[in-house]
Parts: sequence; C-alpha cells; structure tokens
Amino acid sequence: MLRLKTTLLVGAIALAGAPIPAMADVTIGVLIPSSGKGASYGQQQQNAINMFMDKYADIGGKAGKMKLVIYDTRGENTEAINLTRKLIDSDNVVAIVGPQFSAEAEVAFPLAVRGQTTMITPMAAKAGIAAANRPWAFRFALTTGNVYGPLLDVWLKKNAAKPIKKVVILMDGKDAVSSFDGKTVFPQILKQKGLEVLDTISFQTGDIDYSAQITRAKGLNPDGIVVSALYNEAAHAVAEARKQGMKQPIVAGVGINDPRFIQIAGSAAEGVMTGSDFFAEDPKPAVAAWVADYDKRYRQKPSNAAGEIYDTLYLMRECIKKTGIDGKDVKGDRVKLRDCWTGMKDVEAPLMGKTSMDNNGDGVRIPTMLEVKGDKFVVAQ
Amino acid sequence: MFIQQLANGVMLGSTYALVAIGYTLVFGVLRLLHLAHGEVFMVGAFAGLQVVLWWHFGPFVALIAGLVVAALLGMVLEVVAFRPIRKRGNSHLAPIVSTIGAGLVLQEVMTKVFGAEQTPFPSDLGKIAYDLGFIHVTGSQVFILAVAIVSMAVLHFFVTYTRYGMAMRAASENLQVAAILGVNVDNVVLVTFAVASALGGIAGVLVGLNFNAISPYMGLEMGIKGMAVMLIGGLGSIYGAMVGGLILGIVEVLSVAYLASSLRDAFAFGLMILILIVRPRGLFQVGIRAER
Repeated sequence: MLRLKTTLLVGAIALAGAPIPAMADVTIGVLIPSSGKGASYGQQQQNAINMFMDKYADIGGKAGKMKLVIYDTRGENTEAINLTRKLIDSDNVVAIVGPQFSAEAEVAFPLAVRGQTTMITPMAAKAGIAAANRPWAFRFALTTGNVYGPLLDVWLKKNAAKPIKKVVILMDGKDAVSSFDGKTVFPQILKQKGLEVLDTISFQTGDIDYSAQITRAKGLNPDGIVVSALYNEAAHAVAEARKQGMKQPIVAGVGINDPRFIQIAGSAAEGVMTGSDFFAEDPKPAVAAWVADYDKRYRQKPSNAAGEIYDTLYLMRECIKKTGIDGKDVKGDRVKLRDCWTGMKDVEAPLMGKTSMDNNGDGVRIPTMLEVKGDKFVVAQ
Repeated sequence: MFIQQLANGVMLGSTYALVAIGYTLVFGVLRLLHLAHGEVFMVGAFAGLQVVLWWHFGPFVALIAGLVVAALLGMVLEVVAFRPIRKRGNSHLAPIVSTIGAGLVLQEVMTKVFGAEQTPFPSDLGKIAYDLGFIHVTGSQVFILAVAIVSMAVLHFFVTYTRYGMAMRAASENLQVAAILGVNVDNVVLVTFAVASALGGIAGVLVGLNFNAISPYMGLEMGIKGMAVMLIGGLGSIYGAMVGGLILGIVEVLSVAYLASSLRDAFAFGLMILILIVRPRGLFQVGIRAER
C-alpha cells in the first residue's frame, strides 16, 4: 500500500513536470478536482492549464520558468486540507491557485492564513469566503453581487424609454445561492439604484406549477421582473409570466446561464438578460481565438471553470513578473505576491479583461452581459 | 385576482383529480394500493411527448398516445406485479412492495432513455391567450379543463351503464361474491387497471401541456398528491376523487398566492389530516359493505 502511494505521488509530481523545484524557478501550487465530484471541471481546468503552460511557462528574467505542482482534491474537503498543507510545508510553493469549490475553499483558506501563503480560488462562488480569511485569501471569480451591479445598470439603461422604478423579485426559496441572491444581494443593489421592490415571491426547486406566484406578481403591476433561480425553475417562471400576459422586461441571476433555460422557456425567453464572468461565444477576438484553440485541441467548448483558471494563472504570472521574485526566498516571495494581489488594479486578463481586487479579496471587473436572442444567448449590446 | 387564482387552482386540481381517480378505481376494486400509478402517469406523459417530437402531431394525438401507452402499461403491471400476488393469498403488504419496485424500474428505465433533466413539451396551445378582463386563460388551459371534464363524464357513463362498468362496481362490493355470480374477475381487474392507467396517462399529457415540464421523477410527487386526494375524497369513491382533486388544487394555489410557496405541501397534507380527523372516511362515504 505504501509503495502504491509513493508511486502515485511520484506519478502526480511527474505529471506536473516538476519533481523537485529547481533553483531560480518559481513554483506555484494548483488544486483542482480531476476526479470524483466535479471531475469534469477538473479535467477542463487541466486542459486550460496545459494551454497556459504551452504559451506562458517561460517568464524570463530572474524568475526563469514558472513551475506548477498540481494535485487532485477529488472535490473533497479533507483532501483540500491535506494537499494545502503539503503545498505550503513540503513543496514550498510561493502561492496556491485553488481550490475550486466553496466548501473546499472555506476549509483550505484558514491554512493559507496560518501558513502565510497567498491562496486564490479561480471559481468558488459563495459570498464572503475570501473576506473571512484576509489578507492571504483571494477569489478571481466575480461574486454574484459583483455581477448584478453592472448587470442592473445595463438592464435599466436598455429600458430607459419606459423607465423601471418598481420590480418584483421571483426566487427559488429552496436553492441556497438563488435564495441568498433573491433575498439579500438583489434587494441591496436594487435599493442602491433607487428601485422599489414591491414583493419577493418564492417558488421551490422542482415545482411545476407557477401560476399562483405569477398571478400574484401580475396583480402588483411592476415595471420589471427580477428572477433569481436555476435554469429549470427560472425557465418555468418566465414562461408562465409570458403566458399570463406579463410583458415587462426580465433580468435574471447567473443560474439561468445554460442552453436548457432557452429550451424550456421557448419563445418566452426572448430578451431575458443575465450576466456572466466568462462567455464561450463572446465575439471578442481574444476569447474567440482561445475558444477555437481549446476546441481544436480537446473537441469541446470550454466552460467557466477552464477560462477562470487560465486567467488566474495569467494574473499570477503578471504578479511574479511585476514583483521580480525568483523563488529563492520563499517566505519573502509569498509576502510580495500577497501584496501584488491585494493592490491589483485594472490588470488585463487575456479572457475576461481588466481585473482588480476589492477590499474583500474578491475580483472586480465588468462581466459579460448576455441577452436571449432567438435560440441562444448573445452578448447584450 | 382572486378569481384568477381560483382558476389556477382548478387547472392544477383537475390534473390531481385524474391521477387520483386512477388510484381510487384500483383501490375500489382490489382494496390494494397501486404505488406505481405515479410512474404510469409519467410514462404516459413521455409517450405523448414522443408523438409530438417525432411526428409533430398535435395535442389530441399526444393525448391518445399517452392514453393507449398508459393503459397497456397498466395492464402489464396488473399481470406482472399484482396478479401473481393476488392469486397467492391475501397479503396487503406484498403488492405495495411489488408496485414500488415496478415504479422504480419504470423510473430508472425512463432516466436511462430520456435523461434525468426536465424536457419541455412543445405546443402552440399555450400561446393562444384569452383575456377576459377579470381572468386570463390560455388555449392549453381550456383544452385541459375540457379534456378533464370529458374524461370524467365518460368514466361516469362507463361505470354506470356499461356491462364492464357494472361488473367493476359489483367486484368492488365484493370480489368473491362477484366471481360466484359469474363475473370474470380477472378480466374486470384488467379492465380496471386499463381504465385507471388511461386516465393517468391523460393526466400526464395534460400536465406536460400545461406546465411544460416532463421528467422521470414527476410521477413521485404526483403519486403522493394523488393518494392524498384519494384519502380526502374517500377511499374507492370516484366522485370523491374528482371533488378532492379540485379542493386540493385550489387550497395549494391559494396558500402559495396569499402565504408562501414553502407552505404549499404543508397545506395540502394539513388539509388531508384535517379531513381524516373530522371525517375519517373522506368526503364521499363509500358503502359500508365495501369497507372491509
């Protein structure tokens, strides 16, 4: 058993291409779920990592080559804890990219604080996880709050001809993220923008009948509708609203970003707006070229997970270049990288654009605004 | 707005009623619970959907497909999951377990074939809307109400006036005595399953049309609601199931409309418990002799 474990370990390190961090090479730890729960995320991320290393591994100057030590957390909290310890204590990495899930990040971040090592999760979504572990923890992905602010601005501007003053929020009360967004995040942002929330009406994950909720919403006669739910339930709510003759503009949370939303809602989905951090069909040349390259290599379209880790690694490389660290003084380098991430302001990430870090350690940038046109999502103009 | 909510409740309630009638028919004749009935409803919905998707037929053909497939499936279930146990003796528990098993098999097979995600039900009926000022109805809702009323009326005539209907009623009074008097009990039971399942299949297609969501797991919740309606209406009472279904649909919709969606099921089953406390036999009492 012990032998087997050793072989596996050696295998893992060999895969990462860095048996022992050579001098004058900067080593970054990476935690992804290559197997188990969320393995498809991990596999996509491994693909994105390969693409990144092919293009950017060579930093040049004092830093030499960027080395990655990649471990598989299997999406499990205990693995995330053990591997974080290992990266900090025995692999002596200068920073860690990962873990990917909120639950993992919640248990791994405190270890990064204790080990005084910068740790940045590319995609974990839960609010406040980086804020609770200042100053060493960061998040690249946009929190829903950081998506909805700019999204509502665009939505309101688009409907300026018939200004939206009063809205009704329809939300899934059973889904944790949707109900948090519907009860807390959306109302807060709507209030900031001077809108009145007439009512917050809930449905439950798996419901099939939305008639009562929509009739209630219709009776309040709002100027617009905000939907916070995953694609299935959101699609039914939107379809029922159109069926009952509600013609108001609709904006929805990030949960609807799936082709099934349009499939189920059909023509009722037309014009519904949402926001997304990464959008594979974005016509922006940098994104289109990257997606085409990914598609050519792996015969599939990259998801959020792939795009987010690619950009996170790129920003890490920018920080290594900017601070001029060379991997010789690991302790000092860790502090320098932390300061670079803390002060990050409008640094151009190749796919998602100018990125800054806010006081909570959460990424800030302009999300891609999406709108349903015909039978697919397009970038809203 | 209240009238609109009542209409919403009637729409939901009429599908509950159709499912509950299936339960109550089988229970009325055999005094046994048919726990795969929710899955028959689900298979009926998928059958209707396939006709629409593959051959682009309209809702009427979908309805007939759902009806036929569900009726056949119901008869197969009778032969496979009920008859062998019935012949072997008077166990109440065995058919419950065997039908749960049959239901799980159906659920898994449908998941393998169609996937676990919800599938939309394409129909143009939903796009036709009638706005009468105080109430807003769509073509699919008119269709559902009409089909539900016609199905219940046909069932009423079938049970009251046809030979098989009369034999069914005789069998539900007492299976053994009916057999002694020359009723072919096996055939009557088979017909009962066919009729009950056909109504379930119709309900499946109607739910697909109105709520635009079909999934292999839709039978589970509908099955539980159907049983609650059967208890509310009175075990074995067809008219009880009709009225009980409407009551449950209206109570659910009103609880969502004026309170909160999380209370929907609490009200549905609270009502059931209340009725069982006040009127243990349900709203429509069936003949004492039938209650063994």
